[in-house]
Order: sequence, then structure tokens, then C-alpha cells
Amino acid sequence: MSYGRVTGEVKRLLQDIVGSENVYDSPEILEKHGLDESPLPPHPPEVVVKPRTTEEVSKILRLAYERRIPVTPQGSRTGLSGGAHPIYGGIALSLDEMNRIVEIDEDNLMAVVEPGVLIMELHEETEKLGLLYPPDPGEESGSLGGNISTNAGGVRGLKYGVTRDYVQGLEAVLPNGEVIQLGGKIVKNSTGYELIDLLIGSEGTLAVVTRAILKLVPKPQYSALLYIPFNSTRDAARAVSEMIRRRVVPFAVEYMPRDAVEVVERYLERRMPDDEHEAYLIVGVEGNSEAEVEWQMETVGEICMKHGAEDAYVADTEARMRELWEGRKCLFEAYKAFWEVDEVDVCVPRSRLPDYVEGAEKIGERHRLRVVVNGHAGDGNVHAIIVKPEEMEREVWLGKLEAIVDDLIHLGLSLGGTVSGEHGLGYTKRKYLVEKVGPVQVELMRAIKNAFDPRGILNPGKILP
Amino acid sequence: MERGLNIIVCIKQVPETVEVEIDPETGRLMREKYPGILNPFDEHAVEEALRLKERYGGYVKVLTMGPPMAEKALRDAIAMGCDEAWLATDRAFAGADTLATSYTLSLCIRKMKPYDLIICGLKTTDGDTGQVGPELAEHLGIPHICYVSEILEVSDGRIRVRRRLDDGIETLEAPLPALITVTKEINQPRLPTLKGKLRARRAEIKTLTSSDLDGDPSLYGLEGSPTRVIKVFHPEPPRGGEIIEGEPDELAERILRKLEEVGVI
Repeated sequence: MSYGRVTGEVKRLLQDIVGSENVYDSPEILEKHGLDESPLPPHPPEVVVKPRTTEEVSKILRLAYERRIPVTPQGSRTGLSGGAHPIYGGIALSLDEMNRIVEIDEDNLMAVVEPGVLIMELHEETEKLGLLYPPDPGEESGSLGGNISTNAGGVRGLKYGVTRDYVQGLEAVLPNGEVIQLGGKIVKNSTGYELIDLLIGSEGTLAVVTRAILKLVPKPQYSALLYIPFNSTRDAARAVSEMIRRRVVPFAVEYMPRDAVEVVERYLERRMPDDEHEAYLIVGVEGNSEAEVEWQMETVGEICMKHGAEDAYVADTEARMRELWEGRKCLFEAYKAFWEVDEVDVCVPRSRLPDYVEGAEKIGERHRLRVVVNGHAGDGNVHAIIVKPEEMEREVWLGKLEAIVDDLIHLGLSLGGTVSGEHGLGYTKRKYLVEKVGPVQVELMRAIKNAFDPRGILNPGKILP
Repeated sequence: MERGLNIIVCIKQVPETVEVEIDPETGRLMREKYPGILNPFDEHAVEEALRLKERYGGYVKVLTMGPPMAEKALRDAIAMGCDEAWLATDRAFAGADTLATSYTLSLCIRKMKPYDLIICGLKTTDGDTGQVGPELAEHLGIPHICYVSEILEVSDGRIRVRRRLDDGIETLEAPLPALITVTKEINQPRLPTLKGKLRARRAEIKTLTSSDLDGDPSLYGLEGSPTRVIKVFHPEPPRGGEIIEGEPDELAERILRKLEEVGVI
């Protein structure tokens, strides 16, 4: 497929649409917008455009459609699968200036946001009103548009589900520039095919989301975090399984091995409550009365002690919770601060978690690479961080990385899991699609892609092999 | 220390917020709006007491004066590992300023004997005075050291500490019994544990009322408080910094000149 180029004339037309101050073509900025947080080398676009309105997005896409110029929508480029890489050059459509929280509607418990709003900004605003937007990926500087495009979940998946469960309406621009309105401030909808669900998780390959209506829930008034040391990963995993079987529904069950605790301590320059055990769970409980929270804490504690834990540290004030939670939230950042890393985020059935964790460690040993499995134990979406040995040549590393990622993904698939729980396939993991869903579904997906984007200009080279 | 250390930690329950709101009519702090927690500075006092106990052996008692609900902060301290909790509570104690508070606490402590060391947080996050610790030591007639950021040693009936002040670090020594107030730098407080919390729930809280104390009732509570609040306001930050911007070379020159001007180099 041959694409049109971003000529001087195209740049001038883009300047007419968004103003010359919002069109960038200096090498540094092109390089920056050629990257996300995956280990891929950059794919710089030919131009970066920062629209501020839906109308501007529409005009940019119409122009790109006419000239068949590839367009890569970008949020805050914190993705880990190369989804925001402009593989074929063209226009990087950076939505970070469309960053207004338009409305928090307390009558309908919904927020109306533009795609460039950061997760942490929405969390801050909703919490002031005693409301919660539950999706909470570790990367809080990620944009909501990016979260919708990958259907991210994060730490609250166990109790609250994922981004998909909270998107009630979308405004989106089709590749030909047409603007469509999907859903609305409605709780139920049985009116035709649910196109919203097609757009969620489509990684910017079908349309550009310019506004979203998100469901909010009342924030439980009381909460606490438990930090529980275990002698082995298997003990911790068994405790998680029993929590689920016993119908305790914590809002988060996060797993950290000792390696991760030590790296976090080094990064934060302070101690975690304990660092002398093999494995740790951080369990978050919440409720609308202190008694409810205490019952949950005690039940979780009892289960953990049955599986070999001696005791559990309790963070039950805001300050204590913030400190402990920071230790979990910064985990990936902490590794990134010291080493070059990549991450595999398969999601397996929760009952297979112990097998995945042990299998992943064995794979690490076989490849002689440090693999640190951590993360959302409660929903089976654990993340395997792969650390580059300092002395290893980059070329060697990239080759070894590909091989180990392949093994980890196949381990996940063999346990009934999926390729990616929340990062998306993007560019780096699209080759696994056929293997996971089979040729029939891939053809259906291709037909859907063609229906939305017959000229193939939107985020080409992603998801579909 | 052969027989270990008897330590009393004085704590307070404060509202869980960083921005204390002030009632515009009465000028009083609106404490009711937020859940009560153990004063963050006092967490460090409790932690230091527990570390001393781990180092030298001994027994840690924790004391607070307040309404019955202040019990929650005491139970939190027990959950962290303190051995015994005391609550001074009486309508007569209500409305106390720092003088009446420290007077009342000193009478309680006479009931809680013996003690080698009293540890207080530097100040509370709601009142922010830092006066109760030193006043308490004066009422008891024992030496006190404020702003302690490290305990070096306790031996032969003496305590040796370090404290960081604006213009340097001091090493000080005092004979026991003594009182110290500690800063947040002194340690990183441990979290309470689930077992600790269960123990705390069952723990007996020893209660003291005015009839238990051998003091002058006219010196308790509001009646015993000479402090009159004239005006409550948010103070300006005490020292304004100066921000110098420019290229690194130029900045280095200017900082050098500045340091020479103020005479530190």
C-alpha cells in the first residue's frame, strides 16, 4: 500500500486548520512523537499536529483521507506495545491539548472528558466529590483516550472490571472526517450493534475518540490496605485463590516478589514495611462502614495466615495508605530508572496464576534473564518485567527479548490466557493475534477495519497482522 | 541498661487533614469534620520508644488526654506495639490550652511511675505549638531536649542525642529521667499489624479522671488556661526564597556572589 507524503503544501493546510503554532516538524519533536514506552526504536512521524477541537480533528482527517496520509492518534505515549508509533510516518495526531474535563454530572454520575485528560486528573476531580472512576492503571500519567484505546484495567479490575465497563458514550471522528456520536448519558442501551465496544480497545485503528462519557461510582467511605509477607510465591498465590473462593472482594490484590520490593526501596529511598520475605501481597479493602472494612481485613488476614503468613501490616489512614500504595504504583518506574526493561502482560484464569508465576520464573532461568513477575494477582493479569543485563549489547538484548517474550506469551496461552490483558497488541504483539483468535475472527476484524477505514490511513500496522 | 527502659509516650488524636479549617465565627479549629488519627509526629515518638525497647528492653506506656473517642489513637499505638495505654478524660479537662494540658499530663505521669524517659512528638498537626512537651518537663522538674533527630545512646542513667537546628547539628546529653521531643527525621514509623490491631481491640485502657489526680482543679481545662485566642490566621511562610534564573555559568557566578554577600564563604 502506498501512502501520500506530508508535503510542504500539506503542512500549510494543517497550519490553516489548527494554526501554525500547533504544527511541529522539528527533528526533536518528531523523534519524541515517534516513541512510546516500549523498547522499539523510534518511528518518527513527518509532522506532529495538536488539535484543540473535534472540528479540527475532523478537518485533519478529511485532509489525510483525501491524500491517503497515515494518521497515528497519540495520547501521552505511555503505551508498551508500540501502539502510538507512527510506523509509516505521516501525521502524528497528538490529542494531549484536548485535555478538558468538560463536566462531572452528579445527577447521572457521569463524567464528560476529552481524550487528553490524564487518569490522575480525573481521579483527583472525582474524589473531591466522593466519586470514583474505577479504572486505575499503574501509569496514572496515561491519558483517558489511551486507556479507552487499549481497554486498560489496572489495579481495581478484580472488583470493578476494566475501562470498557465505564464508557457510556463516545464522540469519534471517522477516517473520512465524519463525526459520530455513540451512546450517551444512558445506563442501558439495546439499539443496534454496540459500536462503542468496537472502538474501545481498537487502539486508534477505527476512529479517533474526541470525547467520552464515563460512568462514575460512589467512592466507598472507608478503606485500608494490607501488606502481607509470604514465604513463597505459591503460598501467596494460594491465598489469592482462597480469597476469591471465599467471596471476599477486595478492590485490589497486588503481588510483589522480594526483588520488586527491594528495587522499590532503592528507588524511593525508604523502607517498605518488610523486605525479608520471598513474596508479598498488597490487598485493598473498602466499604461503607468501619465494621465492614474490619471484617474484610480480618477475613483476608485469616486466609493469609492459613497459607503461611505470620501477620499483615495494616495501612488504615490516608497518609499510611498513600505511602504504601506509592510503593506498588512506582514499581515499573523504579525498574525503568535503573535498567532497560520490557513487560509482558498476559492475563490468565486466576486459578492458573501459580502455574504462570512459576513457569515465568523458569523461562527466565532458561534464558538467563531476570524476569520479575508482579502485579494484578486478583484478576490474573500479572505483569512480567524483563530486565536487560547491564553489560549486554543492545542488539543481543533485542533478539533475546523477542525470544523470551515469545515464550512468556505462549506460556500464558497454554494456561488458557490471553496475549495482553491491558497493554494492547499495538505493533509489537500483533503477530500473536491469529494464534490466539484464529483466522475466522481475524477476517471478521479485517472486515470491520475496512468498514471503518477503507483507505487504511488510521494507525496502520497495528493489531492486525 | 540492665533492667530495661520505662518509657512513656505522650500522644494526641488529631483530625486527618493537612488543611485545617478554621470556624470564621469562633476562630476555633474545626476538628469534627475529619476522622481522628494518631498525630503524625507522635507516630515517630511511638516508633522511637519501640526501637529503644527493642534495643535495651523495657516497657512502653502511652498516654493521651482527650474525649473518650481519643481512645482510638491509643489503640493505634498499642497496635504498633506499645504495652499499655492510659487515657486522661474528664469534662473538667476540656478546653485546655498547652499550660493546662501539660499540667494535667504531669499529674497523670506521677500516677504512671516509674519512668526513665518521656517521648513526645515535636508538635501536633492541628495545634502546631510544640509547647506541651517542654512545659510537661518543667512541671515534672526534669530536663528536656527538643527537636531530637537521633538517639545515640542510653546508658549509665544518661541519654545522648543529636538534634538538627537551622545552623547546625548539636549533640546533647541529659541525665534520666528526661523528656525529649522528636522530629520526623528520627525514624520511619512501622505500620500496625493485624495481630497488633486485634490485641489493641482487646487491650484495657486505663482511665484517669480529675478525682484520680492530686492537683489543683482550678488549673485544669478551660479554667486553667490563661491563653486567649485573639485572632486565628494562616501565617505567611517565614522565609521567602529567592529564585535565580539563567544559564548555568551565569548562575554559578551569581550564587557565588550571593554567598559572599551574606558572608558564609
